[in-house]
Amino acid sequence: MSASNETQGAEGGADEPPQPDNTFYECNICFDTAKDPIVSMCGHLFCWPCLHRWLETRPNRQVCPVCKAGIGKEKVIPIYGRGSTNQQDPREKLPPRPQGQRSEPETQGGFPGFGFSDGGFHMSFGIGAFPFGIFASTFNFNDGRPGPPEAGSPQHTEEMFLSKVFLWVAILFIFWLLVA
Amino acid sequence: MANIAEQRIKREFKEVVKSEEVAKCHIKVELVDDSYRELRGEIAGPPDTPYEGGNFLLEIKIPETYPFNPPKVKFLTKIWHPNISSVTGAICLDILRDQWAAAMTLRTVLLSLQALLSAAEPDDPQDAVVAKQYKENPKIFQQTARHWTNIFAGGPLREKDLESKVTQLIGMGFDQNKARIALSTYNWNVEQATEYLLS
Ligand SMILES: [Zn+2]
Ligand SMILES: [Zn+2]
Repeated sequence: MSASNETQGAEGGADEPPQPDNTFYECNICFDTAKDPIVSMCGHLFCWPCLHRWLETRPNRQVCPVCKAGIGKEKVIPIYGRGSTNQQDPREKLPPRPQGQRSEPETQGGFPGFGFSDGGFHMSFGIGAFPFGIFASTFNFNDGRPGPPEAGSPQHTEEMFLSKVFLWVAILFIFWLLVA
Repeated sequence: MANIAEQRIKREFKEVVKSEEVAKCHIKVELVDDSYRELRGEIAGPPDTPYEGGNFLLEIKIPETYPFNPPKVKFLTKIWHPNISSVTGAICLDILRDQWAAAMTLRTVLLSLQALLSAAEPDDPQDAVVAKQYKENPKIFQQTARHWTNIFAGGPLREKDLESKVTQLIGMGFDQNKARIALSTYNWNVEQATEYLLS
């Protein structure tokens, strides 16, 4: 048969010895050993670049090239063999499909009732320090943000003055501890 | 040509050549030159059809985007079939258009074409004249298709009645192929075919 002769001539005999089980891991599109392999939900193996190009070629009809089951970028599983050096998801190697941009609205702090405007403040403490933050801010608020201790007039008893100063020192100390 | 297309065709050659169908001489693919852009296909007419015993040559052109897009295939051998143009050989087959899938191969295409010869789809015709005859005069369709297979594809069965009508028109000075097409189109009514050829 002439086709057979021509084929062998064209192949050049470079990879002629048959390797019986290799076809099992061949991409169903390029028929080569799958590069950046992924498998579809219907179980068909492809190179990710090959399948990506197929999906791009027919954006309105995304079907498995083998069995025509529904298929999509989000519905394939990357395969990582032991020998593979790069464990990156092959789907991230190509320009990913453009996605809609959505930014979160700016939110007030977790405790708007306290009028505590520094919303991010609490979050940075972690769970352990959190109650102190609440305590401090609550205390702060109840004190009505008075001026510096000197504002306490000389008419105040020394005891009152000292207690205020101590209170502020304590609060500032707690804040310093928390912020530091 | 994009490398992937050429690599694919090279691999497919092996597949087709090794396949059972080739062993039975039912399908065949050959290179036209070394470019892998154009190939020559051949399918045997399926048994129990008017195409039985005929060999049909196909022109196969591989686009650079193969296998993401289908090969462009048409019949080089003239054939009388509802889904194949009796004039140009153009084929109406879904897998050569929107139903193509990248895992399909030249082998799939040739086998599908063979299946198309066994089971025409007159409701999705390429050649409206043939499709009409297929539906309205199935017996005449069978004879016409068999006659074309005999004349153009080397089929063994002769339709002597039809041959004599062609000869009759040739005797009147008409071109053989034009006479055959006119007679096939007008259900082998000599008067109507003559009228058509004179108009
Ligand atoms: Zn591939
Ligand atoms: Zn599949």
